[in-house]
Amino acid sequence: MGTTVLDGIQLRNMLINGYRNLKRNAETVDELNVFPVPDGDTGKNMTMTIEGGVNRGSEEPESAGTYMKEFAHGTLLAARGNSGVILSQFIRGISESVQDKAEISIDDFLEALLSGSNRAYSAVSKPVEGTMLTVMRESAEKAMKKRAGYTDFEDCLDRVVSEMKKSLIRTPELLPVLKEAGVIDSGGAGLIYIFEGMLLALRNELLDDSSSDLGTHIQFSDYDPENLLTFGYCTEFILQLQAFKTNIDEFDIDEVIRYLETIGDSIVAVCDGTLVKVHVHSHYPEKVIAYARTYGELITIKIENMTFQHSEITAQKKPMEHVKYAVVATATGHGIKKYFKGAGAAIIVDGGKTNNPSSQDFIDVFRQLNADHIIVLPNDSNIIMTAQQAADIYKDADVRVIQTKSIAEGYSALSMMDLTYDTIEEVISEMTYYLPNVTTGYVSTATRDAVMNGIEIKKDDYIGLIHDCILSDSTDKVDAALALIEKLPDIEDKQVITAFCGCDVTLGEKSAFRRMVLERYPLIEVGIIDGGQDVYSFIFAIE
Amino acid sequence: MGTFVVIADSTCDLSMELLEKYDIDYTPMNYTIGTEEFPALLDWSSHSVHDFYESMRCGTIIKTTQVPSIVYEEHFTKWLKEGKDVLYISCSSALSGSINVARIVAKNLVAEYPDRTICCVDSLISSLGQGHLAMVAADMRDEGKTVSEVAEYIESIRLNVNQFATVADLEFLRRAGRVTATSAFFGNFLGIKPIIISDKIGQNYAIKKVKGAVNTRNEIVARIVEAAVEPENNTLYISHADNLTEAEAYRDAILEKVPFKDCIISCIGPIVGASVGPGTVNVYCWGTEVTIEGGK
Repeated sequence: MGTTVLDGIQLRNMLINGYRNLKRNAETVDELNVFPVPDGDTGKNMTMTIEGGVNRGSEEPESAGTYMKEFAHGTLLAARGNSGVILSQFIRGISESVQDKAEISIDDFLEALLSGSNRAYSAVSKPVEGTMLTVMRESAEKAMKKRAGYTDFEDCLDRVVSEMKKSLIRTPELLPVLKEAGVIDSGGAGLIYIFEGMLLALRNELLDDSSSDLGTHIQFSDYDPENLLTFGYCTEFILQLQAFKTNIDEFDIDEVIRYLETIGDSIVAVCDGTLVKVHVHSHYPEKVIAYARTYGELITIKIENMTFQHSEITAQKKPMEHVKYAVVATATGHGIKKYFKGAGAAIIVDGGKTNNPSSQDFIDVFRQLNADHIIVLPNDSNIIMTAQQAADIYKDADVRVIQTKSIAEGYSALSMMDLTYDTIEEVISEMTYYLPNVTTGYVSTATRDAVMNGIEIKKDDYIGLIHDCILSDSTDKVDAALALIEKLPDIEDKQVITAFCGCDVTLGEKSAFRRMVLERYPLIEVGIIDGGQDVYSFIFAIE
Repeated sequence: MGTFVVIADSTCDLSMELLEKYDIDYTPMNYTIGTEEFPALLDWSSHSVHDFYESMRCGTIIKTTQVPSIVYEEHFTKWLKEGKDVLYISCSSALSGSINVARIVAKNLVAEYPDRTICCVDSLISSLGQGHLAMVAADMRDEGKTVSEVAEYIESIRLNVNQFATVADLEFLRRAGRVTATSAFFGNFLGIKPIIISDKIGQNYAIKKVKGAVNTRNEIVARIVEAAVEPENNTLYISHADNLTEAEAYRDAILEKVPFKDCIISCIGPIVGASVGPGTVNVYCWGTEVTIEGGK
């Protein structure tokens, strides 16, 4: 007969082995993505969440209960993504059940799994079956039914894992979206890797810490003598054309654009009479300026090192001025971040679909702010729960999370922001006023062949998505974007389309898109913003 | 014809037809394009409406100046010489310093014409809101009221003229600095429109943000439904900056909900136009007294 009680050290060894097993298989979990777009990150998120627990738990725990408590606290803070938040709540529930125990019996363990499952369900406002929640609950319930029959922990855990696997295989039956995509639930799969790792520990099969770098640390650093110029310079100027330097009547803005394209990107150049306004990101601002001066003289000029801007967030350690309200927004893509900052967000938390921040990341930012009320715009459906968890943990300010599920919704909320209202409720009421009316559209590239929603998709095609539903497919990104917009059932009622263009979208594509939408829908206002994001060629806010 | 003359200024935005019909004189302000100065005439003889606003759309910066004292002297003297009193209804003092100049000129002229009365009334509004007050004054003049009676009455009702305006591009307002609003209104957001009222001290005050042209129109209609008093006996006024289609859409949407006896649509003149920009639509109606003061 094997182990029938677990002390703190045994528990620690099991959990660390569980963590290592998950980490080894994180990529496999990531690939269980419902949508054929390269944004799966469940495995990474769960691994980083558990890693928070491993790092927090003491090396020589006094008791199983205290270790579990430390571990749970670590995962709460490190939780990333919805799967990470649900997992951290599951672990919290387990910890609450065993926290007073020096050692854990099989019965205690089974009770704890149920407690964890209940915690996880209550953390989700609308629990969906066919997800890791189902896997947690069914395995806990089924394992509990056999409670009298286990000879030892190995036997018990073996049963838990096999029930989890059975449950996981059923997830596509419960959740049609999984079935259509031909995948099983990724969070459930991640959970199994953890428990399998724990089972291996009981069998003395201890795993090495795999060295794969998950990008745990956000790669920001202050700009210093060792830094490389990663992002170039944001260069903006207004040029007065001068008759003695150029023939003003024959001045061709496209010629300027063509030149700038050879030394930069994110180009916006417009000509108003004899004035030319230019915005360009380039590693060679000196060349930009010298070239401009062949046509005239500069009226205004602004050059900013974007690598330095990039590190501003981490550099900003000194206490900020006290304010009544402050807005924290999650964003990715240098253009989107800059835009949100300019639009009034006090701090941007780096993060998006493929890079979910942790609760701790949010809490660090809350601490930096010196505000009575903090409004958080998570801007991704997979970050809302993390932000909410951080808001619940943080006690030094009134933190409210506006449940913006996309950059587009965050943009809408921010555009309506007016911080002169007397109460936080009024501020939030204005910011959320148009949210129900915002449709978010995406154009991305397909990572595999698929047939979804009756649309045949070839790998590397551009696909248009709205509400997690693929509506268009084309080899051309602008075509995919237009087809997507045309498929929107209430497009005739929409008034404004704002397009955040990804780093792969050329100037020609931007203007073609704008022109084609206006031709088709002359009453809609169309705005183009240089988002600079990857993964998505376009993110649309359709309001 | 009464015993006094009603004078407004370039910001009253009354058409030549209305100025003649109500026998209203106006003192022109000036606008400058580059280094060249033009009188802001309501017959648009300096630049056509479309040319004026089109040049703004293309980035031309138009500056405006208040009514020069010589212009007041000329206009006031002309009527005083004919033996008439003068009622000058000025653009809101929160938007233009013209009335201060007028008061100084008036004080000097009264010494010269001791039997005459010059009343300068601050309309605390502009565009057709100011124009409406001038027309009310003209009607009372024709009923035989004295200049002092009418001046007192206009001062007592001026805050009952409600303004609801919106602009196509916030940049013009920001540049002109003739609006009271927090920086939150001036983020570079597409489709965001401010609802601008004329507040109780005559400032243009951006009271609310709305997203989208249709939503903005609906919001203004709702505000007029709430503010309008006895619409069946009053006129709805709409002035626009080269945007007749939208002005007509406003008229139709408002008249569907509120039974005004009629509606006057006119162009926003060069002075107001230079600070609000092309595409602006201003709506005015008789309503409940304005009690809001922006920036407080």
